[in-house]
Amino acid sequence: MQQWTLECRRLGKRFGERWVFRGLELQIQAGTVLVVRGANGSGKSTLIKLVAGLLAPTEGAIQLWHNGNPVPDRTRLLGWCAADGALYRELTGYEHLRWWAQVRSLPDARDALMAHLERFELAHRAHDWVRAYSTGMRQRLRMAIATYGDPPLLLLDEPDAGLDPSGLKLLKQVLDEQTRRGIALFATNRAECAEWGDLALELGA
Amino acid sequence: MRSSWAREVRAIWLKDLRQEWRLRQGIVASLLMGVATVVGVGFASLGQTLSSGLQAGLFWVAVLFGMFPALARGFIVEEETGTADLLRVAARPASVFWGKWLFHATLYLLLSVALVPLYALLVVPLSGHLGGWLLLWLGGGFCLTSVLTLCGAFVAQTAVRGALLAGLTFPLLLPLILILIAGSRQAIEGVFPAEPLQGVFGYALALSAGGAWVFEKVWRE
Repeated sequence: MQQWTLECRRLGKRFGERWVFRGLELQIQAGTVLVVRGANGSGKSTLIKLVAGLLAPTEGAIQLWHNGNPVPDRTRLLGWCAADGALYRELTGYEHLRWWAQVRSLPDARDALMAHLERFELAHRAHDWVRAYSTGMRQRLRMAIATYGDPPLLLLDEPDAGLDPSGLKLLKQVLDEQTRRGIALFATNRAECAEWGDLALELGA
Repeated sequence: MRSSWAREVRAIWLKDLRQEWRLRQGIVASLLMGVATVVGVGFASLGQTLSSGLQAGLFWVAVLFGMFPALARGFIVEEETGTADLLRVAARPASVFWGKWLFHATLYLLLSVALVPLYALLVVPLSGHLGGWLLLWLGGGFCLTSVLTLCGAFVAQTAVRGALLAGLTFPLLLPLILILIAGSRQAIEGVFPAEPLQGVFGYALALSAGGAWVFEKVWRE
């Protein structure tokens, strides 16, 4: 397995006058699923967004390391799936995945894309507009996008929201696979899903 | 590196075109504004001989009016529908800027294809130094597209969009429009607009060098 390490040093985020968290120290090695837990507003999504590069830290730093060398732009190496992450309503599931593959310089051959959608049980609706998808199907599509190309860093922000039992089983498989190739940060409040992690971080405690 | 960057830009451009093709909101609004302006000008100037300055001014006002609705189709719609985060995670800022730029440039091209013949039919045919006109159209389009793309990105991330849009675009667009009008006036009079073109291409150079850089600073928090 490649040696990936995600490091957060004295990480803090403030919105206005309110510190969401401060002085957070983390070092996560490849093969680890870190479960992030906490009450609403405790900063789970904020932490995921900071690692994804969607927010800038107020203080501290985040660094991804590969074989002991700092990765200059970790955002090119991560998959991101958030329950509230919007999709393009007028594009199909297949078009989403192909677009992601193209902007990330990943293989975009039809067979590869369809096989990946099939894994998430979306192949039969691959050419439907996303606006016609159910909540659970949209969540599966977000997971499909996030995992395409086997990113070494997988960020999942409440990916269990809206998933049926077979979707949850799929999510468990995704996390198991991620432990064989890199790091996963998994924010959840669902007790049974929280047990799928190797480490747990309780925010707001 | 270069090919992956070009692929990224192309993917963003094609995504926007595909969405536009399916919804046809931006181009319809742009055409409506542009056509309404030209028809209004044509009606107001019916039977009158327009001076070269007036011809040039009315032409660029029609183009500008037509391009403004397109502003919302770039970044504002991404922020309003919540897809901006997906775009931020997916692509590098420079690719996003140039992908959106290409989309706005495509709208400018389509708008011009509709407006130039209509303007010729209802107001006055574009005449004089056609090479000068063409260069002004190219340079002006580049600058107009860059300013609107950049302003769209700024404005999309604020709550008071209307006020900021006016405050931001006015000082950026006014000098450009004045140079374009001065150049077009010379072109109509059959003179090659060398000095205005220098101004337009200087403006374009500054925007192409600085636009993507400034955009990167505002695109990610």
